[in-house]
Amino acid sequence: MSLSMSLYLPIAGASVNCLAIFGLGGVVGLLSGIFGVGGGFLMTPLLIMMGIPPTVAAASDSNQIVGASTSGTLAHFRQGNVDIKMGLLLLVGGIVGGSLGVQIIAVLRRMGNADFLISITYVLMLGFVGGYMFLESLQAMRKSSDAAGRSESPRGESLYARMMRTMPLQLDFKRSGIRLSVMMPFLLGMLVGVLAAIMGVGGGFIMVPVMVYLLRMPMHVVVGTSLFQILFTCMNVTVMQAAQNHTVDFILALLLLLGSAIGAQLGAKVGKKLGGEHLKILLASLVLVVMVKMLYDLLARPDILLTYAGGH
Amino acid sequence: MRPTVSVFFKRLALTALLAAVPCLAAAGPANALNVTPASIVMDAQYSGVDLTVTGSVPTGADVLVRVTGTPGELHLREKGKVFGLLWMNVGKVTLSNVPSVCLIAASRPLAQLGPVAASFRLDALTKAIGVEQQGGDQSVDIPHELLLLKSREGLYREGAEGISLGPEQGGMQPFTARVGMPSSLKPGTYQVEAIALRDNAVVGSTSATITAALAGFPKWLSELAYQKSALYGVMATVIAIVSGLAIGLVFQSKGAH
Repeated sequence: MSLSMSLYLPIAGASVNCLAIFGLGGVVGLLSGIFGVGGGFLMTPLLIMMGIPPTVAAASDSNQIVGASTSGTLAHFRQGNVDIKMGLLLLVGGIVGGSLGVQIIAVLRRMGNADFLISITYVLMLGFVGGYMFLESLQAMRKSSDAAGRSESPRGESLYARMMRTMPLQLDFKRSGIRLSVMMPFLLGMLVGVLAAIMGVGGGFIMVPVMVYLLRMPMHVVVGTSLFQILFTCMNVTVMQAAQNHTVDFILALLLLLGSAIGAQLGAKVGKKLGGEHLKILLASLVLVVMVKMLYDLLARPDILLTYAGGH
Repeated sequence: MRPTVSVFFKRLALTALLAAVPCLAAAGPANALNVTPASIVMDAQYSGVDLTVTGSVPTGADVLVRVTGTPGELHLREKGKVFGLLWMNVGKVTLSNVPSVCLIAASRPLAQLGPVAASFRLDALTKAIGVEQQGGDQSVDIPHELLLLKSREGLYREGAEGISLGPEQGGMQPFTARVGMPSSLKPGTYQVEAIALRDNAVVGSTSATITAALAGFPKWLSELAYQKSALYGVMATVIAIVSGLAIGLVFQSKGAH
């Protein structure tokens, strides 16, 4: 009996190898479980390489992330690593920011330079976030190996800390073990929402550094809370894309999901074993690799000067 | 007025040709075109299909078999350099009269078939394409870029493969062509043509049409996605959540300490 591994996907309009899609899901899911990012910035380009149209790849990936982040959130929730209060505030901010970002894109498109701004935002954000995290983790790792004692933070940070302390509407976030103004997660969530909408991604790779550096949440809570927040963002995107653009291939998503949900479960366990600084430096490296790839695409002459309208 | 009249009659002849599919045109009786499968079933197992085209041509002639999709309009983005440094989308391009698919097979390398064969090739096809550029670089050869794009997707192809000629029988020679239809085929109607060429002249041509249609699960899913799109979106989300939870629970029972 020969079992054909190929499956025809009517929405994507292409035939794919089930095992290849399953494996791709597994690898990206593993990263997602370790770092608490949706993995959209990796999965979508890989799907396009496998012959899936860009718009279908992006929308189906959102659908897949819904499942993967459900599984990931559950795994982290059991370990007590989801700050639901914080997640909800970030989410509300993210939704407001996302709607704002969509409007900004519409205005930019009318002005005619949206594509340029999208690409530049992408490269700058990836480069800035990746570079900063990388250097910071490297420093922290050196420091901890030099001396066990923690040194006091430099001047600039204390100003930021004072601002955080004096903002109104202070609230305790027990899971994260921090106390700060309700305004902070809301405003930062909004900022990430705007950027994510402009770039057309879930924003996990911006949200994680924001939680670590600006909200000062412990890394293990950051990952669980980020997945929790991503779950809702991607649910919204999936329904909107399916209803308006018919670009969600749910069979493709389900195949990716089977792989990625298993990967995410393993990832949550691997992440627990790795130290916070190791996690950060790995994520930073990943972000930098994607940045370099994007920069290369911008600088090198493309093989073909025509592309399909749709994706960024 | 003569050219117009002759064009009219050609059109009429073509219409009649298409109406009586499969049929014959120029030389000899019994050179009807036979295409199997006559219709392409795009079910869950579909991953492209090999069309077998059989017919006969006058002895000594070469055969060119062409499968084309219905011509339509295509909207694309053009890439260009910004600030002399960065490559990105700089303009919009609207192309008209673009066949969705164009697969050409010949019994001999196409370059050896002479100028007459050239009119059936991809390059000739691109000359018939209408280009409307909005922004972008006017010096870019848009039809050529389209050819590259479609070729990379496997939707445009030409080569001297897959055709075998049989022994002569009463001035006619049977041929069998195998044309691989890509998996990224869109449902619709496709035209199959066989052109007999000898001494740089067309000595016969026949054509047939085949259809490709979704069937089974892909058909059901596609109808749901397009006709009840909101329901489809909600369903996709709910199934993803349930699957995620289920996989999470499986891991819980296995991984509990």
